[in-house]
Amino acid sequence: MKGAVIRLLLLVGLLAIISRAQVLRADAGTPVTLAAGALLLCGLFAGKVAKGLGLPRLTGYLLVGVAVGPYALGFIPNAGVKGLELVKGLAVSLIALVAGTELRLGLIRRVGTRVALLCASVCGVTFLVCFGATFALKPLLPFLSALSVPQALAVSALVSTVVVSFSPTVTIAIVQETSARGAFTEFLMALVIIGDLFVMVAFALAAGVTKASFGGGLDVTGLLGSVGWELFGSVGVGCVLAVVVLVYMRGVKQELPLFLVGLSFAAAEGGSRLHLSPLLVALAAGALIANLDEHAGERIHQAIQQAGLPVFALFFAAAGAGLKLDALVTVGPAAMLLVALRGLAIWFSCRRFAPADDPRLKQFLWMGLISQAGVTFGLAALVSRTFPSFGPQVEVLIVAMITAHELVGPVLTRRALAASGEIRTDEAAGTA
Amino acid sequence: MQALLVFLSIAALSLLASSRALDAGRFPALARLAASGFLFLLVGVLLGPSMAGVLSTRNLEGMRPVMALGLGTAGVILGLNLEPRLLRLLPRPVYSAALAHAGTAFFFVAPALVAPLLLTSGRSLQAAVGAAALLGAAASLSSGHFAVLAYRSGRMDRARGLGIALLTMLDDAVGLGVLALALVLGAATNVGEGLGLVCLAVLLGVMCGALLAFLTHALKDLAELTTVTLGGVALVGGAAAYLRVSALLAGVACGATLALVGGRTVERVARALGRVERPVFLVLVFLVGCGLHARDWAAWALVPGFVGLRFLGKVLGGKLAQRLVGSALELPPRLGYALVAQGGLALCLVAEYGMLVPGGLSQRVLDVVVVGAVVNELLAGPAFRQVLEQGPTRATQPAPGVGVAT
Repeated sequence: MKGAVIRLLLLVGLLAIISRAQVLRADAGTPVTLAAGALLLCGLFAGKVAKGLGLPRLTGYLLVGVAVGPYALGFIPNAGVKGLELVKGLAVSLIALVAGTELRLGLIRRVGTRVALLCASVCGVTFLVCFGATFALKPLLPFLSALSVPQALAVSALVSTVVVSFSPTVTIAIVQETSARGAFTEFLMALVIIGDLFVMVAFALAAGVTKASFGGGLDVTGLLGSVGWELFGSVGVGCVLAVVVLVYMRGVKQELPLFLVGLSFAAAEGGSRLHLSPLLVALAAGALIANLDEHAGERIHQAIQQAGLPVFALFFAAAGAGLKLDALVTVGPAAMLLVALRGLAIWFSCRRFAPADDPRLKQFLWMGLISQAGVTFGLAALVSRTFPSFGPQVEVLIVAMITAHELVGPVLTRRALAASGEIRTDEAAGTA
Repeated sequence: MQALLVFLSIAALSLLASSRALDAGRFPALARLAASGFLFLLVGVLLGPSMAGVLSTRNLEGMRPVMALGLGTAGVILGLNLEPRLLRLLPRPVYSAALAHAGTAFFFVAPALVAPLLLTSGRSLQAAVGAAALLGAAASLSSGHFAVLAYRSGRMDRARGLGIALLTMLDDAVGLGVLALALVLGAATNVGEGLGLVCLAVLLGVMCGALLAFLTHALKDLAELTTVTLGGVALVGGAAAYLRVSALLAGVACGATLALVGGRTVERVARALGRVERPVFLVLVFLVGCGLHARDWAAWALVPGFVGLRFLGKVLGGKLAQRLVGSALELPPRLGYALVAQGGLALCLVAEYGMLVPGGLSQRVLDVVVVGAVVNELLAGPAFRQVLEQGPTRATQPAPGVGVAT
């Protein structure tokens, strides 16, 4: 770890020199490539340092992004971080693609109904608690205080749907790291993935209602049409992409990581242009591939692990760099309150509604549902883009929550798997 | 959206280039352009703002980070080839020969085009000299890919093929040196400041190269090594673009420093970069093509002069090089004809010049070199056949692992 710390410090030192040199120049050029390179390198070595400290790599990516970003040390200009939006979309698509390959039909048949029922209960209770709390905080939250009551209700609902979301990425990474196998692990993985489907439907509805509340009326047909298009259109496009991937894998058989990165990029950019959910497009593609050809699903998993390191390091470091620390001061207490309430709501609903035939689910499942990462980031970024008047502040609130969840979530997920007795080894390298 | 357009265009072109539609037997010129990547240049011209307008000038502005990354990558790859241990082993006549063919082409083109540039642009003499020097630098560069392909396929003696490839690799130094000179003259308000900016680019590259060598030193995992390499290349290209100094020169300094102090990791870094070299090059030439002003008639008028003078310079420079090299290197009889292909570095030079010295003159230089490079690539095929017909062929085993010099 000492080596990683020295390398990280040298990198930060070089960034300081570049930043100082820029001050001497009258005009600055584009900072986007610098931001990409610096955040990628800093993220990678900060991830190593974090791992050495017993934290997930992801926490290291985020924290170093915060440190060198425009709102702390200021070595990376704001324009550089904003220019990395494309990477954010790409990372969300890659995360969803790999999560989709875990959605096997056999798994869904085995635990589908029970998972769906529990998922509805957990999401419902958590949503209600967070919705009530967010609305109650209206006078204290800058982005809510100026809104009318219907608008504040709609925005609270929107925020709460994002707050409910889980992290398939972190869960999958921890399961891989610990080589956990068994009924509890399957249940947990299915729940976080299906939970995100619930969240996406709810998010689409909440976004529609919010748009209507700001636009002076609720167009139910239009809303249903747009939600339907977003859901079924995304699944349809995802299926087409799955076929494209399978044809490529059978015909070309080389450079799969590069191809998947390109395809995810196209899905992210094209999806958002067509008003589809890039997340659902990639999730559906991954699921169809894994169910049509299990071997292809495994190859995709491996390929994304190869291409994933730079994309995820850059994605999370850029997310950290975009964290507006000045705004965090105002929304920090509210974020911590929501973190605590969300944790309590998940704990309560698991204790109350988890199937009784496996006592481990009632006792330990809640710990595996605390993490938040890529999906939540993606939704927060979507709120920021879709609602420029208040979205960036919501993003700050949610990123603050994610930061807290990232510090405790992966540790809790590991504890849940250990307590369930399904961990086989903890020597494998982590990827989160 | 512009990034998606570029991605889709490149993907479609890649598919086209690898498809049977471009059969070398049916469309030899098109197949040759596709193989060298210059087809992407032409499609860039077609889709760019001055023709179809699919990509607007604003879109191209938004793609500047990609351009900086491409130039940085090209620079680092060039710098990595400047391995001091191998360069020290080369006898002096080889350097003289490389300087002869590159220098002759430079002196045939640059002085002759100062007056037309001065007359058509109405800019200062200093600016016109800088632009003409850059045209000369682009003219001095040659690509050895025909020679490499010929000896790999057994149509040319391996020693001769490698000799040509070596000379074309060494002429890169002339091109980069002139780019530095042109930036000293044109990138700032005075020569002192221009010199300072070039020095800053080199210093930045040296620091990044040393850091990259240290960062990659103990890395064993391939994914991590690739990530650090890509991050390092983006860092050097990005920092140069941010400070508005040459990403290409900074990249070369970075690669050369890495080659000097990197030890055993250099080969692994070069292999990691090799995986992205082709896609990055294709995106770069596509974007350079998009930047062409097709309606600049003065530029079109300069193209025949540029191509003709360069051809003469290469033919005579080739003869001079053969005389100077003596027995130090085996070269084919009509060496100049083997040096007609221009390669991608010429495009990198003018793209860099255009980014750092904005204005009508740098745009004209870009227009002339882009069109000239395509014409030279088309001429290079028949010209190289002259070389093959003249020289005795000693078929050799194909040599895998030898890269195509550009």
